[in-house]
Amino acid sequence: MGFSPDPLILTRGLTRYFEARPAVVDLHLEVMAGEVLGLLGPNGAGKTTTVRMLAGLLAPSAGEAFVAGHSVTKEPEKVRPKVGVLSENPGFYKRLTVRRNLRFFAELYGVRDSRRIDEVLALVKLSERAEDPVATLSKGLRQRLALARALVHDPQVLLLDEPTSGLDPEAAKEVRELLSELSLAHRAILLCTHNLPEAERLCHRIAVLKTKLIAVGTPTELKERLFGRWVVVTLANPKPEIISALNLPFVCNASLDGQKLLLAVEDPERHNPILVRKLVELGAEILYIAEEERTLEDVYLELMEGGNAA
Amino acid sequence: MRLKVLILKEWAELFRIKMVLYGCLFMPLFMGGFAGWMVWQGRALPAEGQAALFNAALLYFLVLPVMIPVTLGVYSVVGEKEQGTLEPLLATPLSDLELFLGKSIVAVVPALVLTWAVFGLFLLAASQMIPGGIPAGVLSLPWLLSIFALSPLMALFAALVAMLISSRSTDSRAAYQFAGLAVVPSLIPLIVYSARLTAVDLKFVAIEGGILLVLNAALLFLGIKIFQREEILTRWK
Repeated sequence: MGFSPDPLILTRGLTRYFEARPAVVDLHLEVMAGEVLGLLGPNGAGKTTTVRMLAGLLAPSAGEAFVAGHSVTKEPEKVRPKVGVLSENPGFYKRLTVRRNLRFFAELYGVRDSRRIDEVLALVKLSERAEDPVATLSKGLRQRLALARALVHDPQVLLLDEPTSGLDPEAAKEVRELLSELSLAHRAILLCTHNLPEAERLCHRIAVLKTKLIAVGTPTELKERLFGRWVVVTLANPKPEIISALNLPFVCNASLDGQKLLLAVEDPERHNPILVRKLVELGAEILYIAEEERTLEDVYLELMEGGNAA
Repeated sequence: MRLKVLILKEWAELFRIKMVLYGCLFMPLFMGGFAGWMVWQGRALPAEGQAALFNAALLYFLVLPVMIPVTLGVYSVVGEKEQGTLEPLLATPLSDLELFLGKSIVAVVPALVLTWAVFGLFLLAASQMIPGGIPAGVLSLPWLLSIFALSPLMALFAALVAMLISSRSTDSRAAYQFAGLAVVPSLIPLIVYSARLTAVDLKFVAIEGGILLVLNAALLFLGIKIFQREEILTRWK
C-alpha cells in the first residue's frame, strides 16, 4: 500500500459546536492520496458534521482542516472544486433526466466535455437510463447517480456519507462494488458508515468517532490493540491444571471454556509451535488449533463500551 | 458562466411543472383579457371616457410583472430544500451572489416576456376594437416607461423579496404566506393613480423607479448577507 506522502485531508483540533452542544471535538485526522479512511461512530457522533466541515459547508468552531492543501476556513471556494460529496440522502431534480442532472453539476464544476458525463454514467452503470427522468429511478440507482455526481469533476477528495444507508442488500452490494472499483491512485476517500463489514472490506484505516476521536488504525491494528492475539486450542481431554502447568513467558492470559483452551499469545506465528510442543508434553490431546478471529464489529462494540485502543 | 448554467437548469425544471407553467400563462392571459374587455366595453364612450378606461386597463400590466416572480421566487430556495438538492448545490463552486442573482433572473425574465407579449396583444386588439384607434395621448412616454422600465424593477423587487422569504423559511407554506409582501410596490402606482384620477406622469415614474432601484440593490445585498449556508443546512430538517 503506497500512499503519497502529503495528506489530502488533514485536520488539526477540528471542533464544531452547535450553540453549547459539541458535535465534533478536537479531531486530528490525516488521509493520504490513495487511501480510504472509514469514519465509524453511532448516530450523532459527528460524522456528517465532519464531512460538511471538510466540504466547506460548515465552518469549524475551532481548529483547522486542509483539503487538497487548502484551508476549509480561509479558502472554501478553492476547496469545493477539489471535493466530491455523497450525502446520506442525496437529492436530485426529479423531473430532469439523469443526464441533465449530471450535466448541470458538471458544468457548475467547470466540466464542459460531455464525454466525461458518458464516462461517469458508464462507470456507475447508468448509461442505459441516461435519458430517463430521475423520478423513475429506484433508490439504489439514485445512489449510483449520486456517486456519479460526486465523481463527475474528478475530485481529489471524496467524502461519502453513508453511501449504502437505506438500500436493500442487493443495491448496497452494487454500490460497494462500485466503491471498490474506483480508481484510488490520486484520490483520498473518507467513508462514513454504520456498516462494519463494509468498512472492513473497503477501508485501509478506520477512525472511530464519538464526538471525539476514540481510535484510529488499520482494522488489524485496532483488533490487536484492543484484544491482543488469541489462540484457541480444542482439546480432547480438557483439564484445568494444564493452565498452571503451561508456564510460558509469551502466553499473557489463559482460560478454559469447555473443550476450548483460550490463550493470549504475543506472536502466534513464532510461538505456536513451542506452545503445541509444550501442550503435548503436558499430555494434552489436541484436536484443533486456530487463531481466534475478531471482527471490526467486536472492535467497534468494545470501543463504544469504553475499551481503550490507544 | 455558472450563472447561465443555473438559469438554464432552473427553467428546464420549472417549466416541466405543469402547475407552474399553467399558472404563469393563466395570469397574463386573464389580466390581458380583462383589460381588453374593459376597453371593448368603453368603445362607444367619448374620447375622455375611453382614455380613463384605457389608463385603468394599463394598470393591470403593472401588477402582472410582480405576480409571476413571486410564484417562481418563493419556490426557488425552499424547493431546493424540499427535494434535498440544496446541499449538493451549495457544495459546488457556485457563489451566494450567483445563486441569489441567478434564481432572481429565473423568476423575472418569464414575467417580463409574458407581460410584454400580452401588452403587445392588448394594444393590437385595442387598436382594432376602438373605432378611432387608441386614444391620443394615452400611450404617453410615462406609460411606456412604466411598462418597459418600471415593470422590470418591480419584477426584480418581487423576485428578491420572494427569494429572501424562501431562503429564510423552513416551510414552503409559510413562505407562500409571507410572499404577499412582494406585491406591495406594484400596488403603490395603482393606489396613487386611482386616488389622483389622473394619467401617469414622468415625475412619479422617475421617483418610484429610483426608489425601486435603491431597494433592489439593498435587497440583493441583504439577501446575500443573510443567506447563511450553514444555517440553511443545519436548520432545515
